[in-house]
Amino acid sequence: MANERFKSVSVIIETRDLNKIYEGALRGQDVHALKNLNLAVNSGEIFGYLGPNGSGKTTTIKMLLGLIFPTSGSIEILGTTDIAAAKVKRNIGYLPEGAYYPDFLQGEEILRYYGRLYGLAGAELNNRIDAVLELVGMTFARKRLLRGYSKGMRQRIGLAQALISDPQILILDEPTTGLDPIARKEIRDILARLRDEGKTLLISSHELLEVELISNRVGILFDGVLQTSGTLDDLLTTREVLIEVDNVSPQSIEVIEKAGFRIEDRVHQRMKLRVPEGRSTYEALELCKNQGLTLVGVMPRRETLEELFVRVIGAAEAERRKAS
Amino acid sequence: MSTQDVVNAGGDALAARKPTGNGVFSTVADYLRGPWCIAIYTWREGIRKKTLMGFLILSLLVIFGSTFLSAFLDPSAESDMELKLIKDICVTTISIFGVLITIFISASVVPNESENKVIYTVLSKPVRRVQYLLGKFLGVQFIIIVNLALMGGLFFIALYLRQWVLPTLLLWSILLTYFEFLIISAFTFAISCAATSSVLPTIGGLFIYITGTLTEYLKDVEVRSGQSGEFFDEMIGWLAYGLRNVLPNLQHFSLKMQILDRAPNDPPTDVLIPHLMAYGLIYAVSGFIMAYLIFRRKEL
Repeated sequence: MANERFKSVSVIIETRDLNKIYEGALRGQDVHALKNLNLAVNSGEIFGYLGPNGSGKTTTIKMLLGLIFPTSGSIEILGTTDIAAAKVKRNIGYLPEGAYYPDFLQGEEILRYYGRLYGLAGAELNNRIDAVLELVGMTFARKRLLRGYSKGMRQRIGLAQALISDPQILILDEPTTGLDPIARKEIRDILARLRDEGKTLLISSHELLEVELISNRVGILFDGVLQTSGTLDDLLTTREVLIEVDNVSPQSIEVIEKAGFRIEDRVHQRMKLRVPEGRSTYEALELCKNQGLTLVGVMPRRETLEELFVRVIGAAEAERRKAS
Repeated sequence: MSTQDVVNAGGDALAARKPTGNGVFSTVADYLRGPWCIAIYTWREGIRKKTLMGFLILSLLVIFGSTFLSAFLDPSAESDMELKLIKDICVTTISIFGVLITIFISASVVPNESENKVIYTVLSKPVRRVQYLLGKFLGVQFIIIVNLALMGGLFFIALYLRQWVLPTLLLWSILLTYFEFLIISAFTFAISCAATSSVLPTIGGLFIYITGTLTEYLKDVEVRSGQSGEFFDEMIGWLAYGLRNVLPNLQHFSLKMQILDRAPNDPPTDVLIPHLMAYGLIYAVSGFIMAYLIFRRKEL
């Protein structure tokens, strides 16, 4: 079976100069949904694929799955460009956003159906059904009709169908959208466990906090262009310091603001002042001391993914406005 | 886990899932496993559609009710006429409701799955588009066959209980009716592969049914339109000629007059059943190929 093995690859998903143009009914109505996308998802990582609505995330995912076709460029999955091949698809699990699963089937029957499509049968299929139901915490509801499932349960069954063949790659489109905080945490824990087991996950999401908590690397897409991508440590570089002080007066605020420090979260006589990256924290502390303020605390602060997202998208939007 | 382990694990998992048998039979069986699963799923989903069940129940009620028709007839009427009327109602009911069920189900299976995104989860599995279509088409055929069997079965029992003679002619008629539905179904299915909702394929299916039943009239239109020599008339003539030669002649499949006029156990006359079956199959295969050609590069 050596010919059936995939060649050794560390990049599991790779796109090269991928373009997608949706042709409009009339000339000039074409939509260039993806522009020269060069994306790489490494083995064993969770890659957070981010971007505002209409940025091209779902278009990328659909192309990876062969549901739509690139206008130009290439896609390589598991080291092969033949992404429609059964040997590739057997190793991909996909959870679409807001997919419907028929109400008249039991949770177990849904998994049996999808398992058979992967070519599983008999004891192997039964074992996989047991394993994935256990993994997503749905064993208790396996015989229940889907019409009795909550939204969170449906999402977990959706995740189970994506996992039924024990794929090496999981592509998840908005896996936690619309779920309550507890269900979100549960799904997040499952995804982290899958990563720890060596699976490669590509997650498209608007839930930036979720992505920040579990992703190794992220890519931010805007207007069909990959604006930035890299590890969170590399991307979230801006490091600031927050200094919390008490006994604040209007005069002291004026002095601090004049010195170029931003004030936030002011409540009565207490407030925080932000020391941006590149400015000295000692300088800010000295200023506070000179103004007679009482020091409450000093907190180092890294930029959040949300802030990075807003910054990157803001810059891209400004660039686009400038260009047009 | 190293990258090599991940890659090898993929290969090992794949190796475990390769078919163990050898030869053409096991290859074909392996290829058809996916379509078969999809067909069974389509069938299970289809029989739960309320509109379809409504058509079926209504048709069964009409067939069942027609057997009590004698209560509303003039007592002096001949019993032959009464039987003819019952047969007429039942054959027409099977034809009309059968066509409606056929068009409705053939027009909706693919667009509905696109709409609710089930198609994404299926085609992201190792299922080729042609296998998906084959599964859907087979599922549709199961639904049509079961509906036809229920309607025809009830009519068969009603006729048998009236005359105590096995109405074998009806069985031939049901068989041919199925092949008529097969053609309609294949072309409606093909149109549905290009559509985003079931409205257009439903209209298309009705168009095929109506024009297919009126092909003989198209001949008249063709002959008459050429007489005036005007451009518009000529164009209508060409259109009628084209439609008559391209569209299937569904009237060939009707044994209605024979059922009405002849004894229930008479063999069908003036029809070559194997030829008609082959005719139906050729059109159905053409429809399916058309569906595949439309669907193979369709952006979902």
